[in-house]
Amino acid sequence: MTRNWSINRRTFLRGAAGAMMPLPFLNLMEASADSGVTNLAGENTPPVRFMSLYKPNGVHPPSWNINGGTENDFRMSPLMAPFSQHKDDLLILDNMGDFGFSSHANSTRRFLSGHHQNTREASMDQLIAEQIGGDTAHRSLELTTEGLFTGQIGCSYISYGPDGARLPRESDPQLIFDRLFRNPLDIPSKRAEMTSLLDRVRDDADSLMRKAGSEDKDTLDEYLTVVRDTEKRIEMMHKGTNRSPIKFEDIQRPPLATNLDEQVNTMIDLIALALWTDSTRCATYMLGNSNSRMIFDFLGVKEQHHYLSHFFRNFSRENIDGLLKISLWHMEKFDYLLTKLKSYKDHNGTLLDHSVVLFGSGMGHSDNHTAQRIPTILAGQGGGMLKTGRYLRYAENQELGNLHLALMQSFGVPLDSYANSGAPLQGLDGSPFNEYRERPFDSWIKLTSNKITVQGRLVMSENLDEAKTFYMEVADKDPVRVDVSFRDFHDFNLAYHVGTPIILEGNRDEKNGQLLMTKVSELKSVFGKSQPGKQRG
Amino acid sequence: MPKRTLPLLKAAFTFLLAPGLAFSLDTTPEAMNRFVEQYCIQCHGGETVKGKVDFTTISMAAASEDDYDFWQLAAEVVEYEDMPPEDEKQPSPEERAAFQAWYETHYVEVEAAPGVFKPRRLSTPEYRHTMRSLFGFDLENNVQKAEQTAVEPSLILKLMPTDPPGESGFINDTHAAPISTVIWDQYAYFSEVALIRLFSRGRPQSLNTLLDGDLPKNYKHEDITPEMGESILRNFATKAYRRPVSEEEFENMATRLDGLSGAKLVKALKFEMQTILMSPGFLYRGMRMEKQPGKRQQEVDTYELAERLSYFLWEDSPDEELFSLAANGTLSDPKIIEEQVDRMLKSPRARTLADSFATQWLALDEIDDVYNDPYQLISFKSQPLDFLNYLFTEERPVMEMIDSDVTFTSHVTAGAYPKDRKKLEKHVKPKGIEKQVAPNQKLILENTEGRGGLLTMPAILAMNHGPIIRGTWTLRRILGEHLGEPPADIPPIQTVGGGKKLSFREQFEMHRDNATCARCHDKIDPLGFAFEAYNEKGAYLLSDNSSLPKEMQSKKQGNAEIDTAGKLPTGETFEDFEALKQIFMTSRREDIVRNTVKQTLSYALCRKLEAYDGPTVDAITAKLVETDGTWQDLFTEIAKSLPFRQTIITATKES
Repeated sequence: MTRNWSINRRTFLRGAAGAMMPLPFLNLMEASADSGVTNLAGENTPPVRFMSLYKPNGVHPPSWNINGGTENDFRMSPLMAPFSQHKDDLLILDNMGDFGFSSHANSTRRFLSGHHQNTREASMDQLIAEQIGGDTAHRSLELTTEGLFTGQIGCSYISYGPDGARLPRESDPQLIFDRLFRNPLDIPSKRAEMTSLLDRVRDDADSLMRKAGSEDKDTLDEYLTVVRDTEKRIEMMHKGTNRSPIKFEDIQRPPLATNLDEQVNTMIDLIALALWTDSTRCATYMLGNSNSRMIFDFLGVKEQHHYLSHFFRNFSRENIDGLLKISLWHMEKFDYLLTKLKSYKDHNGTLLDHSVVLFGSGMGHSDNHTAQRIPTILAGQGGGMLKTGRYLRYAENQELGNLHLALMQSFGVPLDSYANSGAPLQGLDGSPFNEYRERPFDSWIKLTSNKITVQGRLVMSENLDEAKTFYMEVADKDPVRVDVSFRDFHDFNLAYHVGTPIILEGNRDEKNGQLLMTKVSELKSVFGKSQPGKQRG
Repeated sequence: MPKRTLPLLKAAFTFLLAPGLAFSLDTTPEAMNRFVEQYCIQCHGGETVKGKVDFTTISMAAASEDDYDFWQLAAEVVEYEDMPPEDEKQPSPEERAAFQAWYETHYVEVEAAPGVFKPRRLSTPEYRHTMRSLFGFDLENNVQKAEQTAVEPSLILKLMPTDPPGESGFINDTHAAPISTVIWDQYAYFSEVALIRLFSRGRPQSLNTLLDGDLPKNYKHEDITPEMGESILRNFATKAYRRPVSEEEFENMATRLDGLSGAKLVKALKFEMQTILMSPGFLYRGMRMEKQPGKRQQEVDTYELAERLSYFLWEDSPDEELFSLAANGTLSDPKIIEEQVDRMLKSPRARTLADSFATQWLALDEIDDVYNDPYQLISFKSQPLDFLNYLFTEERPVMEMIDSDVTFTSHVTAGAYPKDRKKLEKHVKPKGIEKQVAPNQKLILENTEGRGGLLTMPAILAMNHGPIIRGTWTLRRILGEHLGEPPADIPPIQTVGGGKKLSFREQFEMHRDNATCARCHDKIDPLGFAFEAYNEKGAYLLSDNSSLPKEMQSKKQGNAEIDTAGKLPTGETFEDFEALKQIFMTSRREDIVRNTVKQTLSYALCRKLEAYDGPTVDAITAKLVETDGTWQDLFTEIAKSLPFRQTIITATKES
């Protein structure tokens, strides 16, 4: 079977023009390669990779949330349309998140660190990398699209090293390419040179160590760790070069990106290629900083993303259209990533089959920063770790730490608890979980001369012209329109109760013959907690 | 660390011996705990934790040095009656005083002490400059650069990951940014590229400098004799380590060149040199300092002192003069330090104080996001940088940062000074050049209104658009006040029913009715609204703006709707920014100087300040306030200060 491979390779690589292969062509070649190609590592079981894609600034919930449906029978939401073709490879999680509200910096930390207050532990991607990255040339990649947000530094980092220290991120695809595929350590003579260099500097560091005080010792330890890691990498580079089915020098360096879209596509190409060539098994990628002020002019959107994300306060039809264009673009990038991962054959399946992709944000509602129903999707089977094609809506709010703990345990990280969480999220592999179930409830309207009280289901208007408007659905009656100020919306945290039955009391009004509630005076949840708390995080 | 508690204990005794105080104020741990329980914990502990301040995680009895920041903030808000919020139960004046006394006993009346010695990795800009000084050339990014394109010219700055700022807020505080394998590979690459270039035939200048020799332009590797090789290696090692290497260590390297010549010699030499460039002694500062055994608090050795000076003022390694003063031991003389600071500030290398220190302190990189046109960006951003560089290096008073009649301007920015711009020398573009960045000229402001000083420079106003951001920036960066993060569940700015439309200012006045909001907005808003006479691009609306770039001119002109008046929490009132500036120059002068001292000291020491730095900050602040001291005085005082010249060595461990 490997014969087929080499024929393909020659055809493609040394084709008519003898030119080197640009990245996209590589996938065509792979798609056409025989499925019998032995896996890169030459092992019987392919390695499982972990990749995370971060979407900044939450979502417009009515466009994102799936309301109704069951585990195996559900319809994807409008915002999910760009990646709906991958439905069978997805595990869509709902009711993820803590109580209360979230600052931007906290939402960024929460995304991979379980809880926003978990500032002393490594993020879960790093713990997984520690577990599985051992014999790859690069332990992990920490990537982003944007520069540092110096005003609120925490908004710029999702990956944290031991002790919770911020890990530097990189955003230039060409630099990443060079490190992965033009690494001097891929050349045997360079490896030999580096080995003797390491021997010498270790001697030097050791002699300093003998004279060192306890504070210098810590610093020298950091240094020596890198020396040892580099020795290990040299060994891995040696193996890696031998096991990769393609020669790195045959892969063409990506051209300079001219806009954000190209830059992100190139970076995703590189991530997929890095995972497939087993150069690394772990990568995180931020589509933007939280609080991102990027301007998506190539989408025809002229306002900053963060401004638009506050769609209630800064409401106009144009603004919300702009926000949705940006969100859809994020979703398209997720689609692009999944399509890429599927285009690579890996062992007896695709690369996606042997990967776990975590996609999502650190907050839910992008205007009032509700840290509940945080968009969270897993993709890929992880070599059997996940049972995909399902929608898991949990009965109770699940801290992200539960998800992180479950994933880390699946990857073999020996942890019983992580951040705030002591219980791994149930159901990812198809095991039973506590599913959200709709309970029957009565609905009614009570009117006095100036007050209106309604029991019914609270929904957010799906009409984008009235994105600030809520409705109370009442059986056999026209829904009651709820038109409130941001203060009411926020103080009663309407976003939290959307989709559930509540009793809502407020000022009565009428507009075009339709009942209207203007000011909210009381909110009571029929089944759940009425006051989700003002806790910040 | 038992010894560290000594100053604390001593302070406690002093306190107990002052009978009047000791009897009237109850500062026992029990009393303090009662204070916290009564007034703080309801909002700041356990269930509710506002502003990330949680008293349940911290022990008053311990009064640990680690909690200095926490208690400093607590003492500040209690003293100024910012906390508890107005609508909560208030402590009596005695209780406030007792809390203050407790804080001062434990965290203010401490003795000055230097920080514990800790080597740290060169920051990326420090590494770049050190490499440049060592080799005599900058490693450049091999890219065609047209003037209007944004290309990072330094290979090092382009390839290194962005340094995260440390706890001090400055990137030279690399304690939290340890070396990684990614960084290791880049160091290996840079050292290789630099060495290839050093030995490339056809340009022996750099090699000749190292060699103190005279290789001809067309020299061959065969021309390098074994003696030359040794000489190169010795000079290189000394320069790279910023101190002499021992004979034994040198011999160990030199024997590896024995019997080699020509290409083989060069290859071995390059390897030895790369080893040096990759070793901790080069990559870290302070790794090779000579320590005096058995002594806890000690002077840093003179080579370390030379390094501290040069990285502080130049972001670069010591030059020959500093090195020789370190070698003969005279550098530790305060008079010599004064002379050296004076000399170093006159060097063009001192520009890094503006480009690196001030840029980080004042977040001037935010200016990059304001201008789309690269010519405008360069022209407007260079204004504050040139101005600060002038203050730093030409013996200007610290407070001229706030109020000065000097500005730096080019023809692109001169429209901001309509009544003085005629004094500028004419700039004539060469033929065939469509657009060109003209260098700034120094301009004395005599007739221009609404300008003068850093705060009203167009780029500063434009990067902080809107009164709230302008107020916050001024409060934090200039006055040095701590503001917590705004709460995440911020109540929105209220709108009033009945169709009445409120101005932005009126909305915020209502917002301040809420006690939680008022705590910060009482301070932020008056400062911010004082800048209302400047539009979001920094144009002064009360003057003729016709010669400013078009995109800076706003349709709103004239003063009909502009309200710049305000009242500070202290009760002081002002009509416009000019009047606020006078308040800054008088009653807020000490705050501004103190903040400046803190920021500069923190940058100089490459670390966050601690309780034991308090006396140093106080002393320098007092001196500068009293004498209307200059920036040069400030840099000199810091260079002569205890934490700069001394350090604490914990017991060395022989293994």
